Amino acid sequence: MVGFLRALTAASAVPAAAAVAAVALSTNSSSSSRLRLPSPASLPSLSSAYAAAPASGSARKPNAVPPMAAAAAAATATADLSAAADKGAALPELMTEFMVDMKCEGCVTAVKNKFQTLEGIKNIEVDLNNQVVRVLGSLPVNTMLDTLHQTGRDARLIGQGNPNDFLVSAAVAEFKGPVIFGVVRLAQVNMELAIVEATFSGLSPGKHGWSINEFGDLTRGAESTGKVYNPSDYRFNKPLGDLGTLEAGEKGEAQFSASKEKLKVVDLIGRSIALYATEDRSDPGIAAAVIARSAGVGENYKKLCTCDGVTIWESS
Amino acid sequence: MQAILAAAMAAQTLLFSATAPPASLFQSPSSARPFHSLRLAAGPGGAAAARALVVADATKKAVAVLKGTSQVEGVVTLTQDDQGPTTVNVRVTGLTPGLHGFHLHEFGDTTNGCISTGPHFNPNNLTHGAPEDEVRHAGDLGNIVANAEGVAEATIVDKQIPLSGPNSVVGRAFVVHELEDDLGKGGHELSLSTGNAGGRLACGVVGLTPL
Repeated sequence: MVGFLRALTAASAVPAAAAVAAVALSTNSSSSSRLRLPSPASLPSLSSAYAAAPASGSARKPNAVPPMAAAAAAATATADLSAAADKGAALPELMTEFMVDMKCEGCVTAVKNKFQTLEGIKNIEVDLNNQVVRVLGSLPVNTMLDTLHQTGRDARLIGQGNPNDFLVSAAVAEFKGPVIFGVVRLAQVNMELAIVEATFSGLSPGKHGWSINEFGDLTRGAESTGKVYNPSDYRFNKPLGDLGTLEAGEKGEAQFSASKEKLKVVDLIGRSIALYATEDRSDPGIAAAVIARSAGVGENYKKLCTCDGVTIWESS
Repeated sequence: MQAILAAAMAAQTLLFSATAPPASLFQSPSSARPFHSLRLAAGPGGAAAARALVVADATKKAVAVLKGTSQVEGVVTLTQDDQGPTTVNVRVTGLTPGLHGFHLHEFGDTTNGCISTGPHFNPNNLTHGAPEDEVRHAGDLGNIVANAEGVAEATIVDKQIPLSGPNSVVGRAFVVHELEDDLGKGGHELSLSTGNAGGRLACGVVGLTPL
């Protein structure tokens, strides 16, 4: 375990500086954040001078999207989300970390064996001391959680993405009812790509528009969250924060997982995700949740709430 | 006598070290003055640069709507001018009368309850304390006091909870606790980590708001 951590630290130590530099660049210069991809919008000449930094930053990442695929996705920016909306569509590779109720070496073997039967899993690390399972792969979070539950063990997601590569590697927006409940997870894959995954219940059956809105002000519910988020340098027809539509089934449940170009999780912190009654979002919105900072891999191994003594397995 | 003197000196050192970081930026009024006159001498270009700075440092605002499993709810608004302290206005209802610990946690993620919010926001890696203590978590905002009707209203002005930069509190969670925060001085084994403040009554994520 210590060896693994040490290796992880060592491996991340060298590129960390480059990543920090790249992140700093992207956050400070939101007006020139499109650095690597050729895009329909002409690049400001200034940004070519910076291109070396993020390029080297993404080249070292095994999960960087092939430029061809990325370019293709960028060209069909309006279709990227809806196309991948059908469940099971391949996501870009990401490290996800779970706390799993394991007590013996047998559990470790069981968990590993179960994952090895799945496609889309590249690597799996189990740390029995911390009860932590780290999965590198391209499966939706819900599929991985189902897999862990199928081994007969409780499991909770505790981290997503590499916090050494990004200022903020993961975020979450939680809808807490009283009617609509849901969790939306955002995770940074590389400088140009983020994963959006969502689970909802309590919706009226049918299609609902949803979007990332510019403010995280819930004083009047979804109504006070402002317009759809769209950074000034994003030059496509559809705003960047437009997430398209969710389709709720007969039971009022909806699931979603897709990757989205140009989305930077760090720029979304404190904004919100809003759900609408209608497909075209012409109503004031039916529910909203603030996009909150969430732990990256290795950032939170807390198992017990010291305030009230609740353990992770009892928490809700 | 010597001991008293030493203690006084130690206290002074502590006080001085408390104010040292800002003081070292503007060493003394005399060293600050040339900087000021330099800006005056810079002419129109300098004035434009100064204006750009003012725009970048404009007032920032944020808000958190607190909700709990019980009937406890509230609104917390945060305002920060330039790089100054942040003013936090708190109104929470549905509480039991008395003191309730009020903290800011590192993450705003409550999907696994208090566990996924991580520890108290603590970028400087210190132990738990009172808001006025030198040694405290940035997220230690002390207690709020509920009146006989169960309503707690407070205005907190604090320097450690900015609304921008690496230690920005936006996207993190406010938590109102069941019990009084002993401010690290209760002698309980949890005093130095959480203030022994008991369970969560309500929490809310700090979100951006229009100015």
